[in-house]
Amino acid sequence: MHQDAHEFLNFLLNELVDILEKEAEAAKADAAETSSPSEKTANGPKNPQANGVLKEPLVTWVHKNFQGILTNETRCLRCETVTARDETFFDLSLDIEQNSSITSCLKNFSSTETLNAEDKFFCDKCCSLQEAQKRMKIKKPPHILVIHLKRFKYIEQLGRYKKLSYRVVFPLELKLSNTMEDADSEYSLFAVVVHVGSGPNHGHYISLVKSHNHWLFFDDENVEMIDESAVQTFFGSAQEYSSNTDHGYILFYESLGASSKS
Amino acid sequence: MINTTNGMISTSSSSTANPQSPGLKTYFKTPEGRYKLHYEKTHLSGLLHSAHGKTVTQVTLAHLKDKPAPSTPTAPTSSFSASSGVRSAAARLLGAGNGSRALSFVGGNGGSKSLSGSSRIGSLGASSSSNSITNTNFDGKGTYLIFNAGDAIFISDLNSQDKDPIKSIHFSNSNPICHAFDQDAKDGHDLLIGLISGDVYSVSLRQQLQDVGKKLVGAQHYNKDSSVNSSRCTSIAWVPGGEGAFVVAHADGNLYVYEKNKDGAAESSFPVIKDQTQFSVAHARYSKSNPIARWHICQGSINSIAFSIDGTYLATVGRDGFLRVFDYSKEQLVCGGKSYYGALLCCAWRCSTFFYTVACCLLRLKSILFPQIPSLLFDIEYSKFLLNSIDAKYILTGGEDDLVQVWSMEDRKVVAWGEGHNSWVSGVAFDSYWSSPNSDGTGETVMYRFGSVGQDTQLLLWDLQKDEIVVPLRRCPPGGSPTYSAGSQSSHWDNVSPLGTLQPAPSMRDVPKISPLVAHRVHTEPLSGLIFTEESVLTVCREGHIKIWIRPGVVESQSSNSESMLSTSSKDKPLLSSKVGSSSYKQ
Repeated sequence: MHQDAHEFLNFLLNELVDILEKEAEAAKADAAETSSPSEKTANGPKNPQANGVLKEPLVTWVHKNFQGILTNETRCLRCETVTARDETFFDLSLDIEQNSSITSCLKNFSSTETLNAEDKFFCDKCCSLQEAQKRMKIKKPPHILVIHLKRFKYIEQLGRYKKLSYRVVFPLELKLSNTMEDADSEYSLFAVVVHVGSGPNHGHYISLVKSHNHWLFFDDENVEMIDESAVQTFFGSAQEYSSNTDHGYILFYESLGASSKS
Repeated sequence: MINTTNGMISTSSSSTANPQSPGLKTYFKTPEGRYKLHYEKTHLSGLLHSAHGKTVTQVTLAHLKDKPAPSTPTAPTSSFSASSGVRSAAARLLGAGNGSRALSFVGGNGGSKSLSGSSRIGSLGASSSSNSITNTNFDGKGTYLIFNAGDAIFISDLNSQDKDPIKSIHFSNSNPICHAFDQDAKDGHDLLIGLISGDVYSVSLRQQLQDVGKKLVGAQHYNKDSSVNSSRCTSIAWVPGGEGAFVVAHADGNLYVYEKNKDGAAESSFPVIKDQTQFSVAHARYSKSNPIARWHICQGSINSIAFSIDGTYLATVGRDGFLRVFDYSKEQLVCGGKSYYGALLCCAWRCSTFFYTVACCLLRLKSILFPQIPSLLFDIEYSKFLLNSIDAKYILTGGEDDLVQVWSMEDRKVVAWGEGHNSWVSGVAFDSYWSSPNSDGTGETVMYRFGSVGQDTQLLLWDLQKDEIVVPLRRCPPGGSPTYSAGSQSSHWDNVSPLGTLQPAPSMRDVPKISPLVAHRVHTEPLSGLIFTEESVLTVCREGHIKIWIRPGVVESQSSNSESMLSTSSKDKPLLSSKVGSSSYKQ
């Protein structure tokens, strides 16, 4: 059984949060008189944690680095009421298309989708199921933007998962323009998790990490320095049947600091 | 008549454009009519060796004229690099509907040496009698596509329906990656080839066509064994009007200037670059050696370069996302700016067909009517005219932000972003043969047509209305006041930036957006380039497949040109019409 790197990443981050919270709790119990400074910030009650921790949320370094906020806006087509719901995220899972770019996948992610027919929206104002328009906006871009490409897709006709080897190009620099913030936030690619293999049930993972301005290639115990231009060999295959099975799967972008700086 | 022609087109496309890839249409619609897939060109993929690194196919259009008599001085047309269509574009200006005939007439009267029209029939006879291209009498006249794939350069005849190349040249120790052709090159070396290893060759295209072998013949070798620069060549260009000078851009951010008449044996050396982030120019210490200069332009790769048509400006784009425009002779940065984000991959200048055509006509007339006047005198007047009239106002770029960028030389900044590609933009070009349907000379609604291709396998065509790019986008943020006053019709919503500075990346909301007129999926593979010719649009994919999309109007004009030909078999017949003749004399 082949494990999923994205699942592992989620598990790891949530587990880290759990551990950090437990530690903070223990620290609080140990030294009740001196509360740990700055680690605990009141975040307001409107912001429940994604992992279901409803008690006073603790902002750990995991949150500070990885957490962003999405706004799910739904506009009822009958009464025009806009319902906005905030969700926190550690990564964005994007649907992919053949011969597309991350920019295009992000655009699709936040494009307007119409809810109709079987998939109507329950409008609280109209008190009934209505046609509606829905879109996702990034309200608060995270410091580290993790992009997960949905390469493993359940194909109904086949009754099983299939790996999509699509060529999805990712630039070394990226901007999010669909945010609700005034300035476009700028990111720089610093790591890529690559899935090697043709199917969803077997394969191997390798990773590329930028460290001190050099790209390093990690394959189990082998670590090599590679040229920046080698990153593009992991974009995917432009044709369905190709000998190339090394495909970028999870991308890590780091914010370039001051958001207004261009 | 139209039906007959359509018949011919469909036969040829059914034989060559077999839908190996279902879902791809063999035409696309535009307001002016249908562009139809005419021919496809490719290479024998089984022969490809990519041992020296992955390559992306680029294509160069090469128009070989009549074999010049060695003593004949060439008309001073070397400042033009756009090769095809000069003849007929000029003729169109002379007011005749049937362009080629009108020009043949002019040429015939003047006993022209450089016009190709008049002597075509003669050369047809010659080529039909010799079936083999190995014949050294083969004068090679025609229009060719030069493209690289794997370890080879391939040459195809643009106007033959043959899918396979007529010539392949293999390189044993590295892969060719970029090339350039100058139809007015003086001493025969008209083709430049740059390799992954950094090596550069100049050769005569005609000589390659005449040779039977699979190796480069009669080549001049520069940067031999990477002695000057070992990083890959990325882009190569003849300097327009540069008397055999050419420039080669490399992946390490350096650009070298060579002169082909200089002794290749003595290699220049240059001082160490002190500051990698700064633009600097170093000249060779010895005047006899090549390259004659090194321009350090940027950190990271230079991805593409382009000269303005008169050679005044050199534009470069690169890994750092900056477009830079240099005054070539002064070796100075004029202006430039950053992409929205990511590297820029391609760039192209706007050139006006009209002025180009006028200029060409003047040159032709001069050489016919006053062959005794020294070129120089005329050239000065002529260059003045050219400089005043050439519409080198816009540069297109494309890159990793999926945007097509329109850069204005007047404003020295981005004036429009074209949104429509779903992946990186890998090729951009103005369609200088296209004329706006409502261009009645009033100049009120000047429109430009340009095209772009991307890694999304699509060809996009765009119309750029001049009004569109001078009126800034006005944004009303929710609950805020409009950023720009609604009454302002100023072409500058910002101040023009000072000369010689680079602009930072604009914000998404500050740049007017334009949408494509047409978006058409043309290949199954990511695309790498496009070329507009008078009769067609060429698209090429990274793997080396080329498609030739014939323009809507061309079919009709061909039919009126060549009824006699179309009523009979088109094969193996000396063709009287120069236009069709040029397209199939090789058969």
